[in-house]
Amino acid sequence: MSFDPITLEILSSKIAASAEEMSFTLQRTGRTLFVKETADFQTGIADLSGRFFAYPREIGVSNYMGLDLSPVIRAVPDMEPGDVIITNHPYISEGLATHLPDLHMVRPYFHDDKIVAYGWCFIHCSDVGGKVPSSISPSNDSLYQEGLLIPPTKIVKAGKINEEFMWSFRVNSRSPDENTGDVKAMLAALTTGQHRVRDLIAQHGIDDFMAVQEALQDYSARRAREVLRRIPDGRYEFWDYLDDDYNSALPVRIRVRMDVEDGIVSLDYAGTDPQVSSAYNVPTGNKEHPWLTLRLISFVLTYDKTIPINAGLYRPMHPKAPKGSILNPEAPAAVGVRHATATRVTDTVTGVLTLAAPELMKAPSGGVTVPVVLSEPDPETGGRKTLVVEPMVGGSGGMADKDGVDGRDSGLANLGNNPAESVEASSRVRLLRYGLRVDSAGAGRHRGGCGQELVFQALTDDCQVLGRGMERFRFAPWGIQGGRPGALFEVHVTRADGRTETIGKIDVLVLNEGDIVTMLSPGGGGYGDPFTRDPALVTLDVQRGLVTRGAAEAQYGVAIADDGKVDAAATAALRAVERPAPSQFEFCDDRRAWDAIFDDALMCEFVTLLGTLPQARRIETRRKVLETVTGGVPRAGSVGILDSVGDLDAARARFKQAVSELRAALSPKAQETAA
Amino acid sequence: MTMAACRVGIDVGGTFTDFVLVNTETGNLTFFKEPSVPSDPSASVERGLPKLVEKAGVTPADVEYIIHGTTLGLNAIIQRRGAKVAMVVTRGFRDLLEIGRSRMPDSYDQRASKEESLVPRDLVFELDARVGAEGDILAQPSEADLDRLAEDLAATGCAAVAVVLLNSYLHPEIERQVTEGLRRRLPEVILTGSSGIWPEIREYERSLIAVLNAYVNPLMDSYFTKLKTRLETVGVRGQIYITASNGGTLSLATANDRPIETLLSGPASGVTAAQFIAARSGQDRVITFDMGGTSSDMAVCKGSEPESTTRTHIADFPLVMPVVNVSAIGAGGGSIVWVDKYGVLKVGPESAGADPGPVCYGRGGTRPTVTDCYVATGLIDPSRFLGGRMQLDRDAALAALAELAPRLGMATGTDIAEAALRVATALMTTELRKSMAQRGEDPRDFAIMPFGGAGPTHANMLAEDAGIRRMLVPTIPGTFCAMGATRANVKRDYVRSLRHTITSPSESDVLLEAALNELREKGAEWISGEGSGLGTPLISASADMRYAGQAFDLPVPIDTSAPVRASDLCEGFHRAHEALYGFRDEDSGIEIVTLRSRIEARLPEWDVASLPSTAAAAPRTRRLVRFGSKDLDVPVYDRPMLAPGQVLHGPAVLEQEDTTTWVLPDWSVRVHENGTLILEAENA
Repeated sequence: MSFDPITLEILSSKIAASAEEMSFTLQRTGRTLFVKETADFQTGIADLSGRFFAYPREIGVSNYMGLDLSPVIRAVPDMEPGDVIITNHPYISEGLATHLPDLHMVRPYFHDDKIVAYGWCFIHCSDVGGKVPSSISPSNDSLYQEGLLIPPTKIVKAGKINEEFMWSFRVNSRSPDENTGDVKAMLAALTTGQHRVRDLIAQHGIDDFMAVQEALQDYSARRAREVLRRIPDGRYEFWDYLDDDYNSALPVRIRVRMDVEDGIVSLDYAGTDPQVSSAYNVPTGNKEHPWLTLRLISFVLTYDKTIPINAGLYRPMHPKAPKGSILNPEAPAAVGVRHATATRVTDTVTGVLTLAAPELMKAPSGGVTVPVVLSEPDPETGGRKTLVVEPMVGGSGGMADKDGVDGRDSGLANLGNNPAESVEASSRVRLLRYGLRVDSAGAGRHRGGCGQELVFQALTDDCQVLGRGMERFRFAPWGIQGGRPGALFEVHVTRADGRTETIGKIDVLVLNEGDIVTMLSPGGGGYGDPFTRDPALVTLDVQRGLVTRGAAEAQYGVAIADDGKVDAAATAALRAVERPAPSQFEFCDDRRAWDAIFDDALMCEFVTLLGTLPQARRIETRRKVLETVTGGVPRAGSVGILDSVGDLDAARARFKQAVSELRAALSPKAQETAA
Repeated sequence: MTMAACRVGIDVGGTFTDFVLVNTETGNLTFFKEPSVPSDPSASVERGLPKLVEKAGVTPADVEYIIHGTTLGLNAIIQRRGAKVAMVVTRGFRDLLEIGRSRMPDSYDQRASKEESLVPRDLVFELDARVGAEGDILAQPSEADLDRLAEDLAATGCAAVAVVLLNSYLHPEIERQVTEGLRRRLPEVILTGSSGIWPEIREYERSLIAVLNAYVNPLMDSYFTKLKTRLETVGVRGQIYITASNGGTLSLATANDRPIETLLSGPASGVTAAQFIAARSGQDRVITFDMGGTSSDMAVCKGSEPESTTRTHIADFPLVMPVVNVSAIGAGGGSIVWVDKYGVLKVGPESAGADPGPVCYGRGGTRPTVTDCYVATGLIDPSRFLGGRMQLDRDAALAALAELAPRLGMATGTDIAEAALRVATALMTTELRKSMAQRGEDPRDFAIMPFGGAGPTHANMLAEDAGIRRMLVPTIPGTFCAMGATRANVKRDYVRSLRHTITSPSESDVLLEAALNELREKGAEWISGEGSGLGTPLISASADMRYAGQAFDLPVPIDTSAPVRASDLCEGFHRAHEALYGFRDEDSGIEIVTLRSRIEARLPEWDVASLPSTAAAAPRTRRLVRFGSKDLDVPVYDRPMLAPGQVLHGPAVLEQEDTTTWVLPDWSVRVHENGTLILEAENA
């Protein structure tokens, strides 16, 4: 170690604490729900190259420590003491901001007239204008619909607020006061950081302060690599799908190839579908972006819980997403709901890691984070009032040695929920049930966690329910090592007159007085063959009402007698029946049908071919081919793929044909002829 | 022996049971430590009390009040040794405890599990009993429903039942009827209704209060019965009180009904003591620093009250009742010193605990601890630990530390010991600073008051690192929590969720006055049954308020000396909002979310005695202490010999039976007339 290890340890904790103090300032002085309850904000301190060496561990958003401030630093070359830069532009900031409500600020910290570090913070603010209140709509197909775009701009110049900017900023928002409050909290946090940096330099000297920035990242990089060495060297490939891109019913494929060599992990997302004409794109700045390695980071931090959190963690990881893909879109692709896609990226990497090191992995979780939003008439103002009923998540996945967690999933955000009593106090709905969803867990030797069940009734007419980020209506969370998939997402309505409807994925659902909506979130995937699960554990699940007797028999081969105990003889008989051998990945019917039609190698070629087309033609060409091959893709949550397509082999042949036609059309010769 | 009016504070800890006897006429304090008996916690009380009384030169009959603190309930929750509890909930909410507030305890760890529920799902029963959001009754169970439910509950063999109905905070009657109905049908089972115990909005938090209360109730009940018998056996006839988490104390009967209020009382009593000593020493802003075997805790006192919080945890569970705000800030004396595989020196979080303990204890410990570092650097004299009752092995400590030397590139055990203390100090500083940042405070505006066995040894290093310039060391830091118990007031908090939007101030005045009166009357009725000799009850109140539609509240104090006026509260809220956020919003409606009140009454007053004036003491000896990479030749004083008003300059070591105080170079010490040491930084 080049740096004195005692000083490293001392400065390591003090520096992390400085970033945390910034966060506490932000949280204490912030005023909106995003800050106070969901903690959708973060702070950090970056080195001169714009990489974080200090980042909070216990507070705020957990996955932004790999962000890169350098595009902002380059964009504003004349930074002076007391300046603060603001931006929310996903493309100019090269993926520092990943959607417009995220306001990012950077403040240079000076010592003796030289910049010695950069303070940073971000906050998810309430509204930056755009098509819909809160600025996020999955249906947006252009960045320009998503709200005010702020290129890197001095919001504070030499200590003085840029009032002209603030005016523009305020008039472009539906909630100017909340936004102003957020901005003030952010500035206060950056000031706290400045004070702590000054204290650290006063106490430990500028030389140590500068040297420790790299030493800390180097230390974290080495520890991260040590964890990654647990993944056996080799090449692994896997893919998963989004149900659709919201504006069409076409599934979107995320594909990754992982190459591992001695703790250095490369993730190549070649073969991933092109960017979509809705808000599901993830702007990653055409670089090694942290949103592409979320699952690797959680892997590292799962197996080494005390690594200092900083940008060094990413050094052994090399992700790459093709330009123009949904994971590296070109401007002005819309990006508002990028978290739904990022969740699926995480599941996809779970897949390659499972291939490489199944004993270290858990099956995918329910794979959704859905704030169930209610917009109801507000008799007091004559307008509408909007609130989150509950944020729904699925269960988490089963593991090699234990079951997944019921009804909880830290997912990308680890959101807290709302007490039913608070919801009822502030809205015109009544919660009839909020709990675990029976029989939803992916069966397994270690089962997945149960999903959630949320049932509520409108007490007034014209209540609108929105479920942004709803997913897994078509492609269920899969099981691993012989474990079974979790249940799909479902939404049903019982109207006041008793009629029932299965809704599927919600766009806007209107409820009138007396109508009841039931939302069922996915269970986590199971781990290991459920027929090897200890019958006593199955019995306990039945006793606790999480698994029905029927499911115990069908999914686990466990018969339970009338006294509630295991019927050993009947269980042995059930388990002796010949079954197909369980495979490493157990997919749902729609996934198997879709994979049967769209062969991986052909899909990869198809995507490559699409990539040679001008951006405008890619989406249209893809839509035509997929619809021709399938005869029209049904809406997720309505009809199954097999039922809709019928003869899978014929569809597979049609796809092969379509790709070869496209290949021919795009060949140099064809191009020449066309010219 | 003469007759005397005495009060005894007792704190039963894991290793020792601490006793402090106060002669309330003279203000003289006597302390005593008796080894605890984990299998039978009241046994050490029976054993130690006669020895304490004898040491103080009084008789058991002189003890007017016994104020007792125990961690029994807390330990039962941590170790999951409480009663078998069932829960009755409104239909549709069986998974109240399973879903909780939906967050996982760790955002990064993919293998994390959620907290293990105290009531498994098969012991949760749904009932058609429902109150609407306006307090209207939507469903009410019949007698037949309750008969069936009682049968189901009886079949589980549970010892206690918590009843939690949705919106019962608005309309407690149905929940009360269900609770009473079940109590009649199940006379052997202990029943707790959620709103009966804490009628605050948020069903998960309220259900935890009911469940935790039910969970520890049978255990505490039998403990209190035993304690009472044992005190009678040793001839103590005084009134018995139990310390509470809010820094107050409760009669045995109240503690028996509401044991949840006592769970975090141990650390709270230490803070009560610190607040008292600080006030008597002319210091009104203090950070307490309690350093024990496995960890260190801090709290903040400003003015006459320790700071309290309504956001804390008991084991894995959030607790929303007001308690003294104590935060853990890092290493204790038993924390292990080690080197990671990259050659970085680490302290904790693993602890050697009481068994085997530090290497220098010679009880089989092989990995060096923070205490070994004190011995290795010369801060602690191995021959005078615990007043010389326990010989420490300094060579063993040095040898264990020296084993780490090659991997650190350092020469000796002493070098490593000093480095490890710097690391431990830095960890504490960072946690302390973070904890203060959450409160919006700067530690440099405070004095620090250490207690616990190791507190005074480490506190000056922490103070210097954190920029704190003043430090107060009380006379008996080793039994400080027991001393705090003797200073606790009889005290209880009340809450009422109001959800009232102020539209017409005059109407609001009427409503507020009625609500406050109800809380006041409840408090007055309660305190009149809490024993004899109490002072006039004092009532304080506050309102949690917000702008309409805002997501969180700010507390606004209510002047209880005059009729409450909504307009005053609104102005108070605007001001609080302005102070924190820099603006007020006159156009917005204002909502009163929650009313809170606290009633307290003093036990008869007493005060600490002044030290007799004596001649200034000279050092007893000198020894070498490793500090700042140098071997300093440091004078060693017997603290009890120091004279009031005497001034010393660091470096110095001050030894007493229950601790050693380390005074850094460039710090001075002055002995306050009540015996408290006042340290101050002398450098600029």
